[in-house]
Amino acid sequence: MMEALRRYAFRKFKASEQKIHELNYLFWECTTRCNLNCIHCGSDCSRDSSHKDMPVADFLAAVDTIGSRPPGLMVVFTGGEPLLRPDIELCGRELRKRGVKWSIVTNGHLYDARRHVSLLNAGMGALTISLDGLEASHNWMRNDSRSFQKAISAIELAASSSRLNFDVVTCVHQKNISELPRLMTLLVMKQVKAWRLFTIIPIGRAVRHPELSLTGSQFVELMEFIKQQRTSGPIDLKFSCEGYVGSYEPHVRDSRFFCRAGINIGSVLIDGSISACPNIDRSFAQGNIYTDNFYEVWQSRFQPFRSREWTQKGQCADCPAYKDCEGNGFHNWHGDKNNVLVCHLSKINQGAVR
Amino acid sequence: MGRKWLRNIVKGVSLTSALFVFQACYGTPQDLGFDFWIEGQVKSKTTGLPIRGIKVSVADGVQYEYTDENGRFGFFTEKVEGVKLQFQDVDSTENRWYQHRDTLLSVAKEQVFLNIELEEKK
Repeated sequence: MMEALRRYAFRKFKASEQKIHELNYLFWECTTRCNLNCIHCGSDCSRDSSHKDMPVADFLAAVDTIGSRPPGLMVVFTGGEPLLRPDIELCGRELRKRGVKWSIVTNGHLYDARRHVSLLNAGMGALTISLDGLEASHNWMRNDSRSFQKAISAIELAASSSRLNFDVVTCVHQKNISELPRLMTLLVMKQVKAWRLFTIIPIGRAVRHPELSLTGSQFVELMEFIKQQRTSGPIDLKFSCEGYVGSYEPHVRDSRFFCRAGINIGSVLIDGSISACPNIDRSFAQGNIYTDNFYEVWQSRFQPFRSREWTQKGQCADCPAYKDCEGNGFHNWHGDKNNVLVCHLSKINQGAVR
Repeated sequence: MGRKWLRNIVKGVSLTSALFVFQACYGTPQDLGFDFWIEGQVKSKTTGLPIRGIKVSVADGVQYEYTDENGRFGFFTEKVEGVKLQFQDVDSTENRWYQHRDTLLSVAKEQVFLNIELEEKK
């Protein structure tokens, strides 16, 4: 009874957020160049991207269209690898002058002591570093024999700063799921306070590696691991907000599943496209900063994100959990968009049957 | 507008602040910390001229910056009680040689401007 009430209240809360449509979180895909060639990369980045990095001034001009900035608006630099750009700090200082906080997602390769200081000086306040397993499996996934050591060095630096709200993210797949307890021990030893796990969506280069997708029983194992550690574990562990996980919802995150893409989350992509999270199918772009006013687009468009009824097709058509799930994470709708790419709930059901 | 009021009330009374402190699935956590902006200029007490290359650092921290050709510096640092800044001449062979100086800041503002004068070493 109480659970049903909570679910009902949360649906109402989501509907309200969809209507308010406040921009709280803005990704900037500042480069699609990358110094790694990870086998799971959803954005298919490369060392020599065909796209030039967007000039800082162009991005700031888009930010400047936001009239009365919502309190707490934050810009997240993503890529590619943002630290390949030497002018991240310049952009960060300009954002802070405008009252906007900022953060970066990095693979850690270029995150050395000098860059750490330089980013803090420019007002960086949050950071995410990827670590995809113990040394052998991380390096396999990252296609680089030095990657693990570099990520660990970056993690040590980040963890030493009380200013940074910092977490480590790990892509969980068939080859590293058994390492999670040992990886957790390592992170705790490195003073990491927060750890976020996610699974791999078959987009970008990950399509060519089906072994990266968890089986149903492995997915249940992952949910059980997170649930157990959140009760008694030594680290703030959570599952990412990538999808709806049914009865695990109250147990694996701080809040229930709510895909805020295009509701509170926007993006400026490498070619100027205006969209939501960068891993969403590019055909959902709502405009372009080079031809449109960014904030007008945010305020007047984004209907496919704010109203998700169109996702009630394919395996979502008759799903009894649709009201809570609403088509899963938006990044699960690619290509012809006739069906959701991954249904976490059906994975759980498959895993529970075995 | 009405909905925003309601949202703010819910935010205020809710014990589940996680509703509002979200992070995108492939993004970073939100920046919930506090920092402030310190800027200033370092000059010679003797000549009144700006000094380039003075290392301005936060004591007991990792952050530092060097003054530019106009003696200017500026950076964000964590808002804690009693921030001690150190001014050190670390390139004494390049221009005149100045005495080190420490300054204690009690932080109440979002930004602080400092005019620092350094004495030459005899």
